[in-house]
Amino acid sequence: MAAIVAVRASGAAAVSTIASFHSHHCAPPSHSRTALAVASTSSSSIGARRYHHGACCFAAKPTQVATDLMDQDGTDLAAAASAQEVAKPPRRKARSRRSKKKSTTAKLEEEDEEGKDKQAAAAAAAEEEAKKKKEAEESGRALASLEDVIVNPVGLGRRSRQVFDEVWRKFSRLAQMSSASSTALAEEEQAVLIRGGPMCDFTVPGAQDTTVLVVGATSRIGRIVVRKLMLRGYNVKALVRRDDPEVIDMLPRSVDIVVGDVGDPSTVKEAISGCSKIIYCATARSTITGDLNRVDNQGVRNASKAFQDYYNELAQLRAGKSSKSKLLIAKFKSAKSLNGWEMRQGSYFPNTFSSSFDEGVDASFEFSEDRQAVFLGFVFTRGGYVEISKRLSLPLGSTLDRYDGLLLSVGGNGRSYVVILETGPLADTSQSKKYFARMTTKVGFCRIRLPFSAFRPVNPQDPPLDPFLVHTLTIRFEPKKQRPGDGSQNASDPRNFQLILEYIKALPTGQETDFILVSCAGSGIEPNRREQVLKAKKAGEDALRRSGLGYTIVRPGPLQEEPGGQRALIFDQGNRISQGISCADVADICVKALHDSTARNKSFDVCYEYVADHGTELYELVAHLPDKANNYLAPALSVLEKNT
Amino acid sequence: MASTSLAALSSQLASSGRLRRRGALSSAVARPRLVFRHPPKGKPNPPSRFTRRAARCLPISYSAVSAGGSRCRLAFICNAQAVPPTSIAQGTPVRPTSILVVGATGTLGRQVVRRALDEGYDVRCLVRPRPAPADFLRDWGATVVNADLSKPETIPATLVGIHTVIDCATGRPEEPIRTVDWEGKVALIQCAKAMGIQKYVFYSIHNCDKHPEVPLMEIKYCTEKFIQDSGLDYIIIRLCGFMQGLIGQYAVPILEEKSVWGTDAPTRIAYMDTQDVARLTFIAMRNEKASKKLLTFAGPRAWTTQEVITLCERLAGQDANVTTVPVAVLRFTRQLTRFFQWTNDVADRLAFSEVLSSDTVFSAPMNETYQLLGVDAKDILSLEKYLQEYFTNILKKLKDIKAQSKQTDIFF
Repeated sequence: MAAIVAVRASGAAAVSTIASFHSHHCAPPSHSRTALAVASTSSSSIGARRYHHGACCFAAKPTQVATDLMDQDGTDLAAAASAQEVAKPPRRKARSRRSKKKSTTAKLEEEDEEGKDKQAAAAAAAEEEAKKKKEAEESGRALASLEDVIVNPVGLGRRSRQVFDEVWRKFSRLAQMSSASSTALAEEEQAVLIRGGPMCDFTVPGAQDTTVLVVGATSRIGRIVVRKLMLRGYNVKALVRRDDPEVIDMLPRSVDIVVGDVGDPSTVKEAISGCSKIIYCATARSTITGDLNRVDNQGVRNASKAFQDYYNELAQLRAGKSSKSKLLIAKFKSAKSLNGWEMRQGSYFPNTFSSSFDEGVDASFEFSEDRQAVFLGFVFTRGGYVEISKRLSLPLGSTLDRYDGLLLSVGGNGRSYVVILETGPLADTSQSKKYFARMTTKVGFCRIRLPFSAFRPVNPQDPPLDPFLVHTLTIRFEPKKQRPGDGSQNASDPRNFQLILEYIKALPTGQETDFILVSCAGSGIEPNRREQVLKAKKAGEDALRRSGLGYTIVRPGPLQEEPGGQRALIFDQGNRISQGISCADVADICVKALHDSTARNKSFDVCYEYVADHGTELYELVAHLPDKANNYLAPALSVLEKNT
Repeated sequence: MASTSLAALSSQLASSGRLRRRGALSSAVARPRLVFRHPPKGKPNPPSRFTRRAARCLPISYSAVSAGGSRCRLAFICNAQAVPPTSIAQGTPVRPTSILVVGATGTLGRQVVRRALDEGYDVRCLVRPRPAPADFLRDWGATVVNADLSKPETIPATLVGIHTVIDCATGRPEEPIRTVDWEGKVALIQCAKAMGIQKYVFYSIHNCDKHPEVPLMEIKYCTEKFIQDSGLDYIIIRLCGFMQGLIGQYAVPILEEKSVWGTDAPTRIAYMDTQDVARLTFIAMRNEKASKKLLTFAGPRAWTTQEVITLCERLAGQDANVTTVPVAVLRFTRQLTRFFQWTNDVADRLAFSEVLSSDTVFSAPMNETYQLLGVDAKDILSLEKYLQEYFTNILKKLKDIKAQSKQTDIFF
């Protein structure tokens, strides 16, 4: 063994080693006695230093093989071989030590002599070594330890045993086809091939740095989600409701388990700290309204709120703003906050006869006595409109291009309005471009999410909206485009309007989704409770959309307990889902969506491909059988609309 | 209701396992009866090689060990199908996603477990009780149950509620082959049959019918036959060689500049990635057309040892310190060790040298299999790609380590 090490230390000699070994290789290996003899003669006859090394190596290896062969009957030979082996290590060590010191030519000569002495008996060699070491002025301690190795029979035996085992392992492995799992090999594999290593099927870069909270980790989907995350090397936290040993046992050992209810904000808060993503797959166990509301609606609300709070907390620690928090554009809580807002009237037909009747329009925007900013009035004129607008003054350093859309909290009698954003140079308003988006309100208070992508240019030739350039925000009421059925039927007159403004905020943008919610598509629930279930789910979804977090809402068809990856999937928006889907496929979508930029701010239905001949043309078939390195999700989702 | 009936069944089986000594099992669980076509010419096996009970239970004697080299094929009549399948019709149907993986800690077993978990199966792993439990399996989300194939009474309890058994167990190289690979497997298959397991996947070795002189291959072949006769719904998958094994054998020593040991055998092996094996297994398992079939999985190309070493050298960018051991040496060692009773295990381990010295090609045309399973041949990883990926990753890692160590040098 020591000899092999020696060869490695002197790199140049290695080549000659192999050469010499091969040349002697032709000798019939069964005659191990002769082989040994050849080995010893060759080591004695070669004088030059380099070849000396090579011979060393050669001598060692066949000796070991020979030992293997002989150890059953010829113990004396084996003993001789090992004695020879033992004779070598000290010599080698002495030399290397000396060569570390600046070796002079004289010493080189000495070494050559030493090489010639090699065939001397083991004891003599040891003595000689001792002398030479003294000459080299080595420390006595090292010498003692060396002699220890030589003299101590236990150490000697252990050493030769190690050498023998190593060689025998290699030798016997040669004769096996596929080396079965030796534990040593398994350890080596762990680093590269298993768990997040670069060569396993399921690698996700950066998984180790991501902590995912799985809410409802014991649900049908949650169980598989947890396993998939673990396989990919994520850190996983699980929020479970029941503190059963049975439930806990179901989860992998290294999952961080938080016991608590999603309806309780304090436990959710505790669970969320330290997490960077949430996968929410908890569902109500019953269809009792209270249960539904607690899990499907309040739970999502709590989770998204706690997540935002956690991010704000983190940001405060850094003395900055959270990249996930919303930007306040306007808040209407005092009379002063109405400063800067201008009210204007206008008409789409400026030169027609009707516009001359001024009395047709009356509106006001003022801070009422019950501390609300109210924009109300009526527009009787055909083609007339009334609008309030404000030049935006953003806080220093923040621009709207880092935001994804607007969130308005409004109340009123449920009319539809047009929100207009104006871009262009501030000095020259004639060059400004206008972009509009329609917002429909409900009777009473509601929050409305208006993504910038929903804004269309007023002049079709204009480029799409660039949020960076926005300088003016306008809310316009116009009676003519009231759609029937948006809550205004029972109102007295569609031309009356009342809009109570609470705040306007900008929603932050980001690359990845933060919150994945598994909702449901609605088919497969017993019909008499479907309304309630869907209502609760919808409320939860809405809460998530308004939270400002990047969201992905997956609405699977009826779940089936079967292995995933077998059938093609349909991704669709709008209630056209008819087929079921396996839990494993849903889990796979959730895990894939974590790092997929196309999944951010999307809600979609998903189910198996409908396998009938007709009807398929309704859908766009976008997914294939999930396979190794087959990322089906991105192309499937990129065609779907955002912010729905 | 369902759980109680299943539990009752398991306890019945467990107790019957324990009662075996009193002969109560004879009607419940059948034993394979092995009939020799030719009586062994050589000296009979020393009885000490089997434990008494095992010898009584399974009267096999491996004539392959006889010194004269005269071998005879083991033929047997399996009466496992005489077992009346336990009626579990009244219970809840077993979920098709529940599977049991035997040998889950092995090279292939762990990939099977990972694949299964990822595809949404509920995986139970049968592992031997040991001081250091297989925590990584639990970490991935599998359930681990302790049982030992060499102790048949521990098996039935693990099969409760299982739909499919995937058997990737092979005895460790350091233990006698028969305990796990034959006696244990027979017990497992009989249990599976008795408890109504609906599919049994068994991994065998390619060409195992052609090399009866190699004990492991003969046992695998006999097990194949036993499964086929048992009446279970089975898939037998014959494998050639794993790429993962090459890393420890060639790639790591080359990188560490240690000597690489190879043979000059002309045998070619079509290595395959275990991840691909696992993937194809599950595709086959779900495919009705593959049931009761014998499939052979082979890699895209067959390689000799020398070719593999050359490839590793090229990819690692350094020459290997190759020690070529002629097959003749291996064979000689085997012959030598076979003379002595106490080195017989060693001889068994070297038995593949017989296979190596014949220039067999461990490969099979895969077109039919691909077609049957609906798999694209392009998705199967080739050895070049596999090793290339390995070396790129390893070399990158080494570079990182070097960079780090340089930094600390500056620091100190």
